[in-house]
This record gives sequence, structure tokens and C-alpha cells, in this order.
Amino acid sequence: MKVTWKLPDGSEISADVAEGLSMMEAAVAQNVPGVVGECGGNLSCATCHVQVAEPWAARVGGPDDFEDAMLDTVEAARGPGSRLSCQIRASADLDGLVLIVPEA
Amino acid sequence: MTVWSPNDDGFADLTSHDTFVQGAPHNTFARLRREDPVHWTDWDQGQGFWSITRHADITEMNRQPDVFSSARGIRMEDQTYEEYLARRTFQETDPPEHMQTRVKVARAFSKPVIAEYEQDIRDLCDEILDQALEAREFDATKAIARQLPMRMLGRILGTPEADLPWLVEKGDALIANTDPDFTDHVLDKMDTDAFRMMPFNSPAGAELYQYAKELMEHKARTGDTNGILNLILNPGRDGGVISETEFRNFFCLLVAAGNDTTRYSIAAGIQAMCHQPELLGQMQAGGDVWETAADEIIRWATPALYFRRTATQDVEVHGKTIRAGDKVLYWFASANRDETVFDDPFRVDLARSPNKHLSFGQGGPHICLGMWLARLEVRVLFEELSKRLTSIEPAGPHEFLRSNFVGGIKALPVRVTPA
Repeated sequence: MKVTWKLPDGSEISADVAEGLSMMEAAVAQNVPGVVGECGGNLSCATCHVQVAEPWAARVGGPDDFEDAMLDTVEAARGPGSRLSCQIRASADLDGLVLIVPEA
Repeated sequence: MTVWSPNDDGFADLTSHDTFVQGAPHNTFARLRREDPVHWTDWDQGQGFWSITRHADITEMNRQPDVFSSARGIRMEDQTYEEYLARRTFQETDPPEHMQTRVKVARAFSKPVIAEYEQDIRDLCDEILDQALEAREFDATKAIARQLPMRMLGRILGTPEADLPWLVEKGDALIANTDPDFTDHVLDKMDTDAFRMMPFNSPAGAELYQYAKELMEHKARTGDTNGILNLILNPGRDGGVISETEFRNFFCLLVAAGNDTTRYSIAAGIQAMCHQPELLGQMQAGGDVWETAADEIIRWATPALYFRRTATQDVEVHGKTIRAGDKVLYWFASANRDETVFDDPFRVDLARSPNKHLSFGQGGPHICLGMWLARLEVRVLFEELSKRLTSIEPAGPHEFLRSNFVGGIKALPVRVTPA
């Protein structure tokens, strides 16, 4: 599947991501600035915050309870499409997904 | 002036606390990374264990808490299940249970909330450094490194200033429970069996608990509902409330872990300044170096030398079979000197970037709750210290803690010329 990250400076990074990989792992592999993933995808550090761009938010879905609590700890302002990208897995139905890396 | 370098023979006894009095045995770690990255050690005082020493292996294993569990103990020493239940904190739980506790306090330790302490930290640094630098020769661990985290802990817990030295003494007795300078109940040298249900096998755990109870009663009487301790008493997302034992253990964890790790990071940074004089100039030049300096100092220090996991299933790593129930030690101290990840790992490079050190247990669910506070304290302390110095040099040999668990310079005589 193809994913595009929109960065705060207006630039974009796009990549093909293998199914099953998390969006945090994909971002780290692509050196997307602002997505760090310090806890290895275990929902414990909140350093992989992204905002899911419309019209993708509904298809990606919202955070579960723990993720919701961890989203209250992120550095950049939390928005309606905010997710921790370690919790979003690549799958065929998300092909074309656009993620916004918020300004810290 | 000699730059400190490891002097072990490459075959150091990792079970012996005495090994670490000379600093971490980095020649041994280097050999294990090269020759035997999944290394078995027999132990006469308990079940043997595996040592994982490569950065890549620790990173890969740490993100699999279902295979390598924290819920059987996190130190080399064995615990009975009864002792484990009595002494565990959320450090000794796995997801999802771990998250129940973590989310209660995550916001209080989050980057944006911690950032608001910057001015407080700077003011404390002013006080501490003005006092310390009056003497031209002093012990930098005692006069500087010990002071800042201790006083910040007081702010965060909301304890009276006057209680802090007592609290830190008790915290040291817990976590440095193998060093006779810090406890009368040295873990491997006497029978601590009477305290086996207390945090760290130490009577200090009971004293801290009594203190925490009285503190909370006082807070309740005065209607003070702020602070970390109140957060932890709130019901979790599942509606569950922590027990008295869990509260005691959490309090002990904050007092112990919130103190000595940052202390030994600051001490290691000052030691580096003594042995690499160019660091002072780089700090004084300022600018971008402060984006990276704290993490490099914390890599250099690696106060948590290892954490232990326990395999939940048979698993093969580099041709060795780790059996279900085997203890597995992640040696962060070794990973942070891994030459395949860090250029010139025995040199402090304040501009090092990227810096994928594992001092905070990065790559796993137990990543340090206090990492943003630690980074901020370290950065501000060195910003303020470097402003005030023309030179700093050793005034005698430094001494390491007697512990294979916490790596730290407990005595650091320095001579300074103030700016």
C-alpha cells in the first residue's frame, strides 16, 4: 500500500509499505522527521503522533482507550484525526493513506 | 590526564557487584558482542541467565513483551512468586496490565507537561551551582549531581524541602542495596531474608511506605489533591484502584528511580568534561548542541546497566535455545557502546545524531516514564554549569557504585576555575 506523510514545512514523503507493518515502523524506515517511536510500538511513549487526513479518518478508525489516554500526552496539539501511528497497520484497504505529521 | 578506559580482562564476572567497582566491564561486553551475543552465565546464588549484549538483539527482543516478560522480576536475583507479588511495581507487569498504571501518570510525565518545569529547574541549578562552585575543589556527585534530581523529586511529589535528604537517603538504600556506602543491609553480604517482602529486600521500603502514608493523610486533611501520588490513587480505566502494597511500591519506585539515574547521568557528564576538555567549549558555543547533548550524556552514563526479562516460551536466538522460564538480561550498558551503531562509542560526541541509545529502555513498553524530565534536567544543568566555568579537571580518582544493576560514579573529585 502507498502512504504519504505531509510534513509541517509543506513537503511530503511517500512510500510503499508492506502489509502488516505499522505506520510508525514505516515512518522510521523512511526517516520521516517527527515520528520517533521510542517505545518500539508498544503504546508507551507517544512519540509517533500523526493526524489522519480526510477522507481517511473514518476508514482508519479512532483510538482505543489506552491510546486515547496516551494521546493526551503528545507534544503537538491533539486534533480530531490524531492517532499514534504505531497502532495503525498497513493493509490493502488503506492504500493511498495520507498522514499529517503535526508541528511540535 | 588519562581518559578513563575499561580495564577488565574480557572475562569479567557479571554476577559480581565487585566487578563494577571499576566501572562497567566494557572489554567483556565487547568480547560478548563479537563472539557470544547470547551468552549463558551459571550462577552460584540463583538460576543462571542469558546476557544479550548487541544493540540490534536487545531492540528486537525488547519489543516483544509477550515472549520476554517483565512479570517475573526485572533483576538478576530470583524471586519467589510470593515475593514478586509483594514487591512488584508496574515495571514488573506486561501489557495490557502495565498500561492500566502507566496511563494514570503518563500525562504528568509527558514532554509538554515536563517542559513547564524548565524555569524551576534553572532556578534550582542557580542555587546548587552558586553554592557548589564557591569551593574550588569538591565532590561533584555530592555537590551537584545528587542535588538537582533530589530537589526536583520534592517538587513533583509535593514533599517539604526539609524531608528531602531523608527521602533520598532511603531511596539510595533501596536501589544501591549492594553498596555498603548506601545501606547497612548489603544484599549479597548478609541475610536480608527478613525484608524479602519489602521493595529491594530493604527495610527502607517500610520506612518509605510509612512516610508516603502520612504524606497522603496530610494531603487529604489539607484538601491537596494535586500531584503524582493523587493521580496514582485515582481509579484506572478499568475502574480498578491500586492496593496499599502497590501504592507503597510505586512510591518507592519514584523515590529510587527518580533520583539516582539522573544523578549518575549528571555525574557521568561532569566526568566526561574532565576527560574531554573540548566539551566545555562546545557547550559554551551553545546553539544546536543542546538539541543532542543531553541524550549523548545519558548514553555515556547508562545508569540502568541492565534490565531482566523472563522467556515465556522456547525461542532460538543466534543458534542458542532460550527455554521458557529462563532469565534474559538486556545489557543496555553494552548496547550503548555497540560499535556497529555508534561511531567511536567510547568518546562523548555532544552533537551525536542520530543517537539511538537505550539508556531509557527504548524499543519496549517499559521505556522510562521519567525520560523527558531526565533529559530536561541534564540539559539545563549543563547549560548552567558550562556558563560558569573556565575549566574543570579531576582532583583525584573517581569511584563507581558497587552494583551490577546501577552504573554510577558515586564520588567525583573535581577542581574548577569559575568564569
